[in-house]
Amino acid sequence: MSISSFYGLQTSLRGLLAQQRALDTTGHNIANASTQGYSRQEAVLAAAPALAIPQGAVQGGAGAHIGSGVDVQAYRRVRDTFLDLQFRAQATRLGEQAARAEGLDRAELALAEPSENGINKQLSEFWGAWSDLAADASDSAARTSLVEKAGSLAQAFATVDSQFALVAEQAADEYASLTAPGGEVEQIANEIVALNGTIKRFVTAGDAPNDLMDQRDLLLDKLASLGSTSIVSNLDGTVDVTFGGAGDPPMIDAAGYQAPALSNPGGRLGALRDLAGPSGIDSYRAELSAVAKTMADSVNGILTAAGAPPFFTYTDAPPAATVAATLSVAVTAATVRPGTSTEPAANDLALQIGELRGGGADSSYNAYVARVGSRVREARRQEANAEALTNAVQDRRESVAGVSLDEEMGNLIRFQRAYQASSRAMSTMDEMLDVLINRTGRVGL
Amino acid sequence: MSTRITTGMTQRNILADLNRVSERLTRTQEKVASNREITRPSDDPFNASRALALRTSMEGTQQYQRNIQDAQSWQETAEVALSDITGAVALVQELAVRGASDTNDPAARLAIADEVDELIERIKQNANVTHRGRHVFSGTATDTPPYAETPDPYVPAADAYNGSTAAIARQIGPGVPLDIGVLGSDFLGGGPAAADGKLLHVLREVSQHLRADDGAALRADIPRLEANLDTVLGVRSQNGARQNRLEAALGRLAQVEESTLKQLSNTEDVDIAKALIDFSSQQAAYQAALRAGASIVQVSLMDFLR
Repeated sequence: MSISSFYGLQTSLRGLLAQQRALDTTGHNIANASTQGYSRQEAVLAAAPALAIPQGAVQGGAGAHIGSGVDVQAYRRVRDTFLDLQFRAQATRLGEQAARAEGLDRAELALAEPSENGINKQLSEFWGAWSDLAADASDSAARTSLVEKAGSLAQAFATVDSQFALVAEQAADEYASLTAPGGEVEQIANEIVALNGTIKRFVTAGDAPNDLMDQRDLLLDKLASLGSTSIVSNLDGTVDVTFGGAGDPPMIDAAGYQAPALSNPGGRLGALRDLAGPSGIDSYRAELSAVAKTMADSVNGILTAAGAPPFFTYTDAPPAATVAATLSVAVTAATVRPGTSTEPAANDLALQIGELRGGGADSSYNAYVARVGSRVREARRQEANAEALTNAVQDRRESVAGVSLDEEMGNLIRFQRAYQASSRAMSTMDEMLDVLINRTGRVGL
Repeated sequence: MSTRITTGMTQRNILADLNRVSERLTRTQEKVASNREITRPSDDPFNASRALALRTSMEGTQQYQRNIQDAQSWQETAEVALSDITGAVALVQELAVRGASDTNDPAARLAIADEVDELIERIKQNANVTHRGRHVFSGTATDTPPYAETPDPYVPAADAYNGSTAAIARQIGPGVPLDIGVLGSDFLGGGPAAADGKLLHVLREVSQHLRADDGAALRADIPRLEANLDTVLGVRSQNGARQNRLEAALGRLAQVEESTLKQLSNTEDVDIAKALIDFSSQQAAYQAALRAGASIVQVSLMDFLR
């Protein structure tokens, strides 16, 4: 069996077309070098099915397979799904730590320590006012000053408390807006559902919609930073997503989107829910109220033991911490009692209260400040930790899926040269046929 | 598999490095500008809380110093009055010795008695001395003069002590109250009406005996006067001892304040030399990172293909 004279032309044409596709893919990679979530693609080239000649192809009459050039087998998306899994787990942690650090940071700012406006300074001035009153117990200026200082101390407690309440409220608001119908979680989920549908149509037709899959992976990354996300890939190219709790029913499956149960959200949502919950900022408020109560009770205790009217009033209604918010001065400059007796210079009570400086109220407040500071420090440390881990996984992922321009330039030259060589092969073939068709058998003409 | 370094990775890492270095730079700059090692409790929770405690104790020390200074001027006021009272008593003693001599006729004794009465008024005025409008010798009843003005004609009740018998205390150190008041009743007494043998009672009797031309009684009064002068001197020396104690406490508190201030500065103030060195080395690191980043990003295979 003989082989067609034009066989080689077809082989070269295949080469030309395949190298052109490879060049196109390289161009696509270069164009998307800085596209977020893009995975590099490659045209998988493979030898085209050979022309099988059953017999008589070679000397001795045996058959042979004659190569017929190259074909593009697939356009492959270079990506490691295991790294995606790792990245999303880290992104969930990072989202949680970042939101926690942010909230605690704001709470720490509300304390305004160390500064001239902090509670520590106000307390110190309050004790100082009692000592000044002890030095001149009947002086109306000293009395007025004491009541003023006490008022600004109570005000400082209330301000810090309301700032804390604001931080908790903001966390609760953000949580609500993220999870509400039409919120970010639902938006992302709906986009994923839409992409699932499109991808399924292509995959069942045997196609691989690489760029759509990249888009979906990017959305899943975003979702993972909001809350714990677990993903099951189906054969038809779609993904089922369980969000915000391992045992919850899936948020996205074949039926589309269902609102997530959020039993244990993790991620940013988890941190926000914790901050707004009883173990979050509310525990700060409770501790602040405990400090305020210690302070008020120590002053009132000394006064009431001597039969004098209490200095501070507050509402203590557990479980909510209300002392810091409701602390107020119950006496006026005229009714302050610096001494057990009502004689003008009687100052034994003022002396005793002045001695409270540096006592229980101060030390419990200082310890409280240290606790708040440590928690912020710890949260920041964990955030930095999670960030480092996330960056490491991100680097590994980039290493596999990212576009390297140098590499693409190399490929560009490789495929260009192959294209040039294929066309040279084709023109050689052409020349050969030219000789055969136009010059052969013209002897004597 | 060797790591592929992709363009995005390089850019991201350069940016992350630059951010890290410039964050450190900003932090150091903040330290230098504020001169504070600790600007927020989370910078160093333990030392932040320590700094708060030190600040409280320093303000306490300053308060004690103010208390002492106030007590000192209070005591000085008392001392001036007591010293004048001592002088007046000594004069009365002299007059009594002169009057006791029987060479005096009744008219001369009457003249001496007038002089004694004047001195008694001087003593009572001194006893009513005030410090910033507060009566020094009336115990805790500082708004009441300890002795009323002597009416004309004289009644014994006019010499009654009107103050309180409760002492006034000042806090001069943590847990150290000091009585600073001198009670008028302790050395001046309540006059003839109280018949307590104290200064005013004896003085009034001296005046009475002079007017009564009773030489023998006058001679008996002299040792009683002397005993009362001793009492006044005793009160003065007690006052002086208190002033010494205040002086010593003030010196000690100044030392405590200085050492607390030093500790506070060690805890929360920035070591400027160290911070500046940190600053310049971080600045150098930042510039190096910028330069390295710029040259890495610029170079690509395209520069060499032609």
